[in-house]
Amino acid sequence: MSQELRRARNRQMLIFLLVCFGMLILLSRLYYWQVVEAHSGHNLAQLANDEHIQNIVLNAPRGLIYDADGRILATNVVRDDVYIEPIQFSVDHPDDYQASLATVVHSLHQVLPTVSQDQLYKDFNSGLQTMRIATRIDPTQSQQLEAMHLPDIFLVSRTWRVYPQGSLAAQVLGYVTQTDTDNHGVYGIEGQYNTLLAGKPGSLTAETDLDGNPLVVGPSSEQNPVPGADLTLTINSDIQYFVEQGLAQAVKQLGAQSGTVVVLNVRTGAVVAMAGYPTFDPNQYWQYANQKGCLGSEDVYFNPALYCSYEPGSTMKAVTMAAALDQHLITPDTSFFDPGYISFPDAPTVYNWADLAYGRETMTQVLEHSANVGAAYVAHNILGASRYYPYLARFGFGQFTGINDGPETPGYYRTPSNSPQVWTPSDLTRQAFGQSIDATPLQVAMAYEAIANGGVMMRPYLLASVDNNGHITTTQPQVVRRVISAQAAHLLTSMLEEAATVGLAQTAKVSGYTVAAKTGTATTQGISDSETEASVAGFIPAQNPQFVILVKIDRPQATIFGGTAAAPLWKAIGQQLMEYYQIPPDDLKS
Amino acid sequence: MYGLKDRENAPKSLPQRPIQAAKRRRQLYPFLFHMGPVALSVCSVLLIGLMALLYLSQVNQAVSANDTLLNLHAQEAVLQRENQDLVNTIAQEQSPAYIAAKAKRMGLVPADQSAIQVLVVPHLKPIPTDVPSQRLKP
Repeated sequence: MSQELRRARNRQMLIFLLVCFGMLILLSRLYYWQVVEAHSGHNLAQLANDEHIQNIVLNAPRGLIYDADGRILATNVVRDDVYIEPIQFSVDHPDDYQASLATVVHSLHQVLPTVSQDQLYKDFNSGLQTMRIATRIDPTQSQQLEAMHLPDIFLVSRTWRVYPQGSLAAQVLGYVTQTDTDNHGVYGIEGQYNTLLAGKPGSLTAETDLDGNPLVVGPSSEQNPVPGADLTLTINSDIQYFVEQGLAQAVKQLGAQSGTVVVLNVRTGAVVAMAGYPTFDPNQYWQYANQKGCLGSEDVYFNPALYCSYEPGSTMKAVTMAAALDQHLITPDTSFFDPGYISFPDAPTVYNWADLAYGRETMTQVLEHSANVGAAYVAHNILGASRYYPYLARFGFGQFTGINDGPETPGYYRTPSNSPQVWTPSDLTRQAFGQSIDATPLQVAMAYEAIANGGVMMRPYLLASVDNNGHITTTQPQVVRRVISAQAAHLLTSMLEEAATVGLAQTAKVSGYTVAAKTGTATTQGISDSETEASVAGFIPAQNPQFVILVKIDRPQATIFGGTAAAPLWKAIGQQLMEYYQIPPDDLKS
Repeated sequence: MYGLKDRENAPKSLPQRPIQAAKRRRQLYPFLFHMGPVALSVCSVLLIGLMALLYLSQVNQAVSANDTLLNLHAQEAVLQRENQDLVNTIAQEQSPAYIAAKAKRMGLVPADQSAIQVLVVPHLKPIPTDVPSQRLKP
C-alpha cells in the first residue's frame, strides 16, 4: 500500500471516528432528553404544548337561592379586579417614565379614589410582572377604566356571590368564601349544599394566538360546565324580615345579649322564619369575624336555632303534661295541693317561682301559674323516670331534628340509662320544668309542633325544592313519629289555650285568635337568678293550628320573664302571620 | 399514470446513444400531454402556490371566524354580566328592607298592630271569587 493511500485511509478513519463520536454525543443527548429528563418530572412535551396550547377552566355558575315566594336570596355578579404591569410599564416608557407614571397614577386615582396615589406609585415601583391594585370594582369604574385605555393596566373579571337582601336570613344561608381560584360555601345552606350549588366546572383546550386568545376554530376541545342547582327555601322573606326586625328591636329594648325566633308550619314542618340576633351581613362576612353569638359561645355565623342549646325552662312543662296525659295518668282537672314547695325523699325540695303557693290547683292551673311544684309532682310522683324519659325521647330531645340532614346540636339530658353514675331523681324533678336539660330552640319548637299537629311530629325542613338544571326535586312533608295520642294533644292544647287566656302567657294573646302558648323563664345554675332566658313557645290559632312560634330572649335586663320579655314579640309575630296569610279570626269573643 | 415511453417498438438496428436513452427515460408524461421538465417545474410551483393561496384564504377565514366567535363570546359575557346585575338589582328592590325604607322615605309609618280591632259582622256571607288567593300558605 502506497504512502498516499495509507494517509487517505487514515483520514477516512479519522473522519469516520469523528462522525461516530458526533453520533455518540447526539445519542447521549437524545437519551438525556428522552429518558433521563422524561423521568425526572419535567414533562417537556407538556411544557412545549403550554407555549401555544391553553387549557382554560370554565367556571360553573353557582346556583341561586330563592325564598318560598321565588324572591332571590343569593345570586352572582361579575366584577373586575384591576391589575398593573410595572415592569412592562417601565419598558414601554424608557424616556418619559416619570411623566407617564404621574399621568397614569393620576388617572387611576381619579377612577379608584380608595387607592391612594402614594400606594399606586409604590405599586408601580414594586418591580413585579403583574400586581393587583383593586378588587371588585364597581361596573361604572370598570367602564371608565376601559374607556381610558391606560397602558399596561388591565381588568380581570371574577364572579362574586352576593346576597341582595343583605343580612336577611344570613344565619340560615351562611356565606361563600371567595379566593382567586376557589369559591366555597361555609355555614348554613351555602355550606351544607355547597356541592350541589357549586356545579361542575368545564374546560376549554385550544391553541392560542400571540395575544393568548384561544383559537376556537380549529383543533380544540370544550367541556361545558354544569351550572349549580338552584335551591328554593321554605323561608318567607316578608315574615323573616318582620321577625328579624322585631327580634333586633326586642333585644335592644330589653338590654338582652341575644335572641332567637323560630316559626314553623304546623302541618308540614316547613320553616317559615328562623332568625337570630346578633347576626351578620354575608356580603361582608369578614367584618364579623370577632363577633359572638349563643351567649358568647359560638361565632355569629352559626344559626342559633340549631346550635345554641339552652335550658328551656317552663316551656318544658307542656312536655311533662303531655307524657302524663298520653298515659292517662292525669286529666286537665286532676288536682293536688301546692303549698309553694314540694319535698321528695330522694331529691331536693322544689319551689315555685318566688315561693308562691297556689293551694289546690288543677293540672291546667299548673300551666296557667307555671308552677314548678306541679310539674315536679307530675314527673316524680305520677310518672317516674321509666314513664317520663321515653317521652322526652319521643319528643326528640337529645336527638338531631334531621333538618335537611345538616349539622346541628342534639342537646343533652341525663337519664338513668345514659348516665347511671351521675343521674339522680333531682334531674327528673328539675327536667320536669326545664332545668337540667339542654335543648335547641328548634327542638322546643318541634315539641310544640307535635302537640299542635294532633300529636304527630313532622320533620322540619328548610329546603322546599332543588332545580338541578331542569331536574326538579321537591321536599315532601315527612312524618317523624306519633309522639302522643290525638286526644292527649287535644287536651293539652286546651290547657295551653287556658295558659294563654288567663295564665302567665296571656301577654301573647292575639286579638281575634285562639292561642296556645307557654312561657318560660329559665335560670342557669351558677349565675344570678336575674340572668334568665325568657321564652314563649306556642301555636296559633289554637283551634286550627297553622304556625308554631318560639321566641327566646337571652339575658334580658329590662324585664326578665318570658311573659313580659318574649311574649310581646310572640304576639306581634302571631298577629303578622294571621294578617299575612289571611287566616280568619277564630276567637270572636276576644 | 406515469410511464416510460414504449421502447419496444424502436428499431433494433439503430442502437440509441446512452445519453439520449437516459434523456428519454427521464421524459415523463404526467398528464395526457407532453410536458418538459421546465414546464413541469413551473406548473408544480404554480400549483403549490395556488394551494398555498387557498390554504391562506382558508386560514384567513378561520381567523376571521375565530375573531367573530371571540367577539360573540365577549358580547355574551357582557350581556350575561348585565343580566346578572339586573337580576341583583331587581332582587334588592324586591327585598322587604328596601321596600320598608322606600315607604319610610315616602312618609309612610308602620301600622300600629295594637290598634287592630276584630269586628264581628253577623250573617255575613263570604264573597264568591274565582281568583284564588295569590298568597299561598307554605
